[in-house]
Amino acid sequence: MTAATQTKPPGDASASANRSKRNLTIAKAMAEAIGQEMRRDSSVLVMGEDIGRLGGVFGNTRGLIEEFGPERIRDTPISETAFIGAAVGMAAVGMKPIVELMFVDFYGVCMDAIYNLAAKNCYFSGGQVPLPMVIMTSCGGGYSDAGQHSQCLYGTFAHLPGLKVVVPSNAYDAKGLMLAAIRDPNPVIYMFHKALQGMGWLGTVKGAITDVPEDDYVLPIGRAALVRPGRDVTLVGFGNTLHHALDAAADLAGEGIEAEVIDLRSIVPLDRETILASVKRTGRLVVVDDDYQSFGVSAEIIATASEGAFAALKAAPRRVAFPDIPIPFSPALERPLMPDANKVAAAARQVCKGN
Amino acid sequence: MVSVTIPADMWAEDMEGVISAWLFEDGDKVREGDLIAEVMVEKTSYDLTAPAAGILRILVAPDVPFRRGAEVARIE
Repeated sequence: MTAATQTKPPGDASASANRSKRNLTIAKAMAEAIGQEMRRDSSVLVMGEDIGRLGGVFGNTRGLIEEFGPERIRDTPISETAFIGAAVGMAAVGMKPIVELMFVDFYGVCMDAIYNLAAKNCYFSGGQVPLPMVIMTSCGGGYSDAGQHSQCLYGTFAHLPGLKVVVPSNAYDAKGLMLAAIRDPNPVIYMFHKALQGMGWLGTVKGAITDVPEDDYVLPIGRAALVRPGRDVTLVGFGNTLHHALDAAADLAGEGIEAEVIDLRSIVPLDRETILASVKRTGRLVVVDDDYQSFGVSAEIIATASEGAFAALKAAPRRVAFPDIPIPFSPALERPLMPDANKVAAAARQVCKGN
Repeated sequence: MVSVTIPADMWAEDMEGVISAWLFEDGDKVREGDLIAEVMVEKTSYDLTAPAAGILRILVAPDVPFRRGAEVARIE
């Protein structure tokens, strides 16, 4: 069972009928979604560094400038402050800008536009000035790009009210979440993991390449997917860590431990119902997050379980995350610190021990 | 049977490339024009499309280096 087969919208028979299989990388699925929406809606445009002629350093805008031209696919100078600030203004007057923050690590110079303007103006205006913009940004390490190009920072954005945050784990979800993000009247932070993007030089997780319908479809933001059912322990992952959780579940199955795997897909809003329903069934929880361990998504999910399913817990929940230190450049240091399937399986064995 | 080869003009210099990802499995049915693989040279990636419809037979695994003109698959 793959994430893709599980996440198809129920009752959407037309999407699978009359078409043959077509596998895409997340990069291609993102570009396809953007192109489809640009054809449908003339207020959509894309801005960012190297997103035009190069097609994005992570491939997610390839082919767009050839079709839509440099007015709507705008290569910008290296000033996130300028072009993300500009995007907030464009969104305020009714355009639908998609901007790329090439690495999430660069958020420092443009954060005022994001968290003080984009995230709050809809609220300040009593809903009269919605901000329909998408900020797509790459995250994640594992390829020795060091401490300023390898971070995840999911929790940093999730902490701030007024922003939605999505993290696809596969190409099917990437397309549906992108279409949902562009159509959403709120600012959406669309965080794509470099290891899943399908760019060879970053390594490519095979499970991220999935069958993607050519038609347009929306994956509702705020709904997690139960991608593998199991009765003994709940493993929660998202983006790249979802694949660690699935690999761990496959290993655990050989030992008689049936792990249930949840793909969050959206961090904000967080689908607490799906998490709680699963934890109430299994009584055990392991959260996998490749962001820094403390004060982040893993803590929020464990708090959710403690608040909403305390009586069902048979063991203390555990988390597998990146330790609270800057990400090392040396592969010998970086790789062992990252979450992986072995660490997830070990944590799951621990919470299942003695029961 | 149709040979799937890396076009001689896919990239300019005489460098080695690799398949970074096959987008179909060996034995899958493909249509003419389907994007079947991504080819990576240094940090640039190129699309490889199916030259014909049929059953894909993969000859070259991901990350195995080749030069332009190499046969990487066949379509039966």
